[in-house]
Amino acid sequence: MAALKRLIQEYKELTLNPPEGIVAGPKSDNNFFEWEALITGPEDSPFDGGVFAAELVFPQDYPLNPPKMKFISEIFHPNVYLDGRVCISILHTPGDDPLGYETAAERWSPVQSIEKILLSVVSMLAEPNDESGANVDASKMWRENRDQFNKIAAGLVKKSLGLT
Amino acid sequence: MADFMSEVARLDEETLKQIDRIQKEVAESCEFIGDQEDIDILTKQYLQDDEVYQAKISDLKRKYKKLRRTRGDGNCFFRAFGYAYLEKQLEEKTDLDRFKSAVIQCRSSLLSMGYPSFTLEDFHDTFIDIVESVNKASTSSAELLQTFRDQGLSDYCVCYLRIITSGYLQSNAEFYSSFMDGYSTIKEYCSTEVEPMYKEADHIHISALTSALGVSVGVVYMDRGEGLEVNEHVFPEGSDPMIHLLYRPGHYDILYK
Repeated sequence: MAALKRLIQEYKELTLNPPEGIVAGPKSDNNFFEWEALITGPEDSPFDGGVFAAELVFPQDYPLNPPKMKFISEIFHPNVYLDGRVCISILHTPGDDPLGYETAAERWSPVQSIEKILLSVVSMLAEPNDESGANVDASKMWRENRDQFNKIAAGLVKKSLGLT
Repeated sequence: MADFMSEVARLDEETLKQIDRIQKEVAESCEFIGDQEDIDILTKQYLQDDEVYQAKISDLKRKYKKLRRTRGDGNCFFRAFGYAYLEKQLEEKTDLDRFKSAVIQCRSSLLSMGYPSFTLEDFHDTFIDIVESVNKASTSSAELLQTFRDQGLSDYCVCYLRIITSGYLQSNAEFYSSFMDGYSTIKEYCSTEVEPMYKEADHIHISALTSALGVSVGVVYMDRGEGLEVNEHVFPEGSDPMIHLLYRPGHYDILYK
């Protein structure tokens, strides 16, 4: 029950003081363990202006363990797997280190929050970490052919707004 | 390159599965807090001809009578600290009011540092409930043990002790910052090395937690270091230890005189 109480509190907090460019909340009133989030692509990034939908699934022992996060909107990004799963350090506990982050990368801890995760995802959209190979092709293109990467991202921005 | 990277990704998934299996094995082989046992059980854990360890175990037996093993999940120092202190207070009840005020003081300090109250509240309330239960005459040692073997309650205690440790380090940044190798700020050290669950505790963590809560701890070191005797180091230095822990590289258990 502690997890539910915490999720309700975080939802209240996010509704009262929403961070810029982010909307998030439970998919339905009767299940607080599955959320949907809308994330605006940060200004001056390849994803500028897009609105990307993602889902967060919380474990029963949240906040001891982090949620899993997955984009529902199509996205092409070095730190997002092909199936939409987001791979950034704050979504992992120290014992769970799939891509060998440098030790100083910020990990999940119970004093983190949904807001912190979503803000990290916004930074990730602005500044991909091309050392993590969640999407190998995207990493490679980000490093070697930025114009092509930007073109694909611009296409996905339009798609996310329903313009294509 | 691409093939290599996807191979790396595949191996990573394998590694994660393996880590998961190992964690399950550890969980099944030891309770969060074990039963009290004779120190003799250690003798069997090391080879008979391991002279250094056998000599140190004999020395340990001269100084202590019993031990309680804890689960080696990276949280062992915090869990051992919390349980050993509260178990002691279950008999004595002499220090609990002071301890409770210290915990409340730590929360105020964390709030003033900008920790949102929703990140502290549940941990604080759970911990205070347990402290108050220890103050009741009706609470038995079996009940306290049950509390610390319940994953939800036990992990909430561990988590709150971690947050308290982090808060103390940040309020005393000037003193501790010289020990933070590889980190540019104390905040970064805390959010990486202290606050996440399963991160092992170092000298710095012990020093901060014992000072924050005013609970003196003797740590008995048993390793391959020089000599045939175990050495005890008391945190904070020069104080009279209320509880004793046994340290073997990477792990803490509880000791009894």
